[in-house]
Amino acid sequence: MDTQPANKSIVEIVRATKIYPPDVVALEDISLSITYGEMVFLTGMSGAGKTTLLKLICGIEHPDKGMVEVTGKDLNRIKGAEIPRLRQQIGMAYQDFKLLPDRTVAQNIAMSMEVSYQNIRTIKKRVIELLQKLRLEHKHNAFAGNLSRGEQQRVTIARAVANSPTLILADEPTGNLDSKTTKLVMELFEQCNISGTTIIIATHDESIFRKSENRVLELHSGQMVQSTDRIILTPENMP
Amino acid sequence: MKFFSTILVQTNRNLQKTWPTQFMTLLTVSLSVLIFSFFFLIYTNMIKAGERLGDDLRLTIYLEEEPVMEMQSQLVRRITNFSPVEEIRFTSRQDAYNRLATQLGDNVDVLDDLDPSFLPPSIEVYPKKNLSNLAQIKRFSEYLATLPGAVKVQYGQEWVERFNYFTKLLQIIVILSGSLLILTTAFMVAYTIRLAIVARQAELEILRLLGATNGYIRTPFLIEGFLQGLLGSTLGLLALFFLFRWIQLHFTGPGILQLIEFTFFSPTIIGIIIAASITLCTGGSFSSMRKFMRI
Repeated sequence: MDTQPANKSIVEIVRATKIYPPDVVALEDISLSITYGEMVFLTGMSGAGKTTLLKLICGIEHPDKGMVEVTGKDLNRIKGAEIPRLRQQIGMAYQDFKLLPDRTVAQNIAMSMEVSYQNIRTIKKRVIELLQKLRLEHKHNAFAGNLSRGEQQRVTIARAVANSPTLILADEPTGNLDSKTTKLVMELFEQCNISGTTIIIATHDESIFRKSENRVLELHSGQMVQSTDRIILTPENMP
Repeated sequence: MKFFSTILVQTNRNLQKTWPTQFMTLLTVSLSVLIFSFFFLIYTNMIKAGERLGDDLRLTIYLEEEPVMEMQSQLVRRITNFSPVEEIRFTSRQDAYNRLATQLGDNVDVLDDLDPSFLPPSIEVYPKKNLSNLAQIKRFSEYLATLPGAVKVQYGQEWVERFNYFTKLLQIIVILSGSLLILTTAFMVAYTIRLAIVARQAELEILRLLGATNGYIRTPFLIEGFLQGLLGSTLGLLALFFLFRWIQLHFTGPGILQLIEFTFFSPTIIGIIIAASITLCTGGSFSSMRKFMRI
């Protein structure tokens, strides 16, 4: 993983607008800056534009207006071999999981490391480690298609984290999880964040960011309505 | 190294998933190679046999009268002026009679009542080896027929013509079966790879999102095409070799096979057939990827 100065932006969005045909405005005039090593929560109601914003950041979608820069690269201009290189630096946990049902849990997680041509032994070790962290070790050889939605959600999170990316994007990562498993997932994200990974979590589950000191961005009908820097409670500033 | 091991793992996984289709394609490629190389083997052997027979080719000019020495040198000059030859041999009536008598062996007594000068004198012309083309031989024989005193020219026209037509027919079959090989192989491999791409569209999409490079996605398909070409042609040639051995073992009696002395392909030809098959299959795979893979 690259070590970058804490105040440098990993994601820079300037006045980005995304309109889906015929005229559905998914995002309107969004500007946003996220620094390296930050953990940001993106919240808002369903249809607010959270998923579209994540898609813009990982380059699946392109803005109709404005600019999106990730790790210093303008995604409107990026092409050729740079695209896969950038995507290898981004780990995305999809809301619809995007798992291969006829592959085992281990194989699904390994995919993100295989595309970076990682050593087979390293891959195996990392898969086991992540499955243990997410309490899925007994599902190592189970086919992804036979898992419950909660289990599939954890597998997609493990895959996003596996390649130790610079940036993790998680779209509703706890939507199908109970409180105990949600805690496990958040612990994993926090561990990644401590080791320097920037994390953007799109969620409408207030419980996961209510007590957090990290920034919370709120979207409403495609517009950024609130950007809150949480006050970190320390003995000095406690009332 | 990591690249190759990862790609090989991926290829192995793909082959395991699509082995029934891959197997059918392999059989088609093998059959195409077998059909083509079967006719090609016969053709190359016929060409070799033709060359060998060409060594023994001679044109006999039957003359009205035995030419005197001066006339002989004039005839030699006129023949060599038209086309260079290996050898020109004059046969007198007496020489022809003696040769026939020798050939008759114990039955020589049948010649007892005949005049020793009943056979016509002749000139035997042994053409150069480059004169193997039927049209050239015909032209040469027509010219020889115009020489002074020539009555008839013989060179086993019927046999040479039949052999020539048969070789030409084989040439057409080789070209047709070669075209069939090209079309079938390229089409089948392209179609198999297309099916594999369509069947794995979801997987390819996920790989693309995870940051797989073009090399990571495309190389396994190219390797599949390469393997189809390599294994398909090897199996086809092996089948042909066993067929060849079987024919050799079961048709060892006197006949055309003894006369022609059949031989199998040289290592160079085998290499060329395998290389052509690999190129076709990999090309088919590549064209399919260009058409149907959106990466």
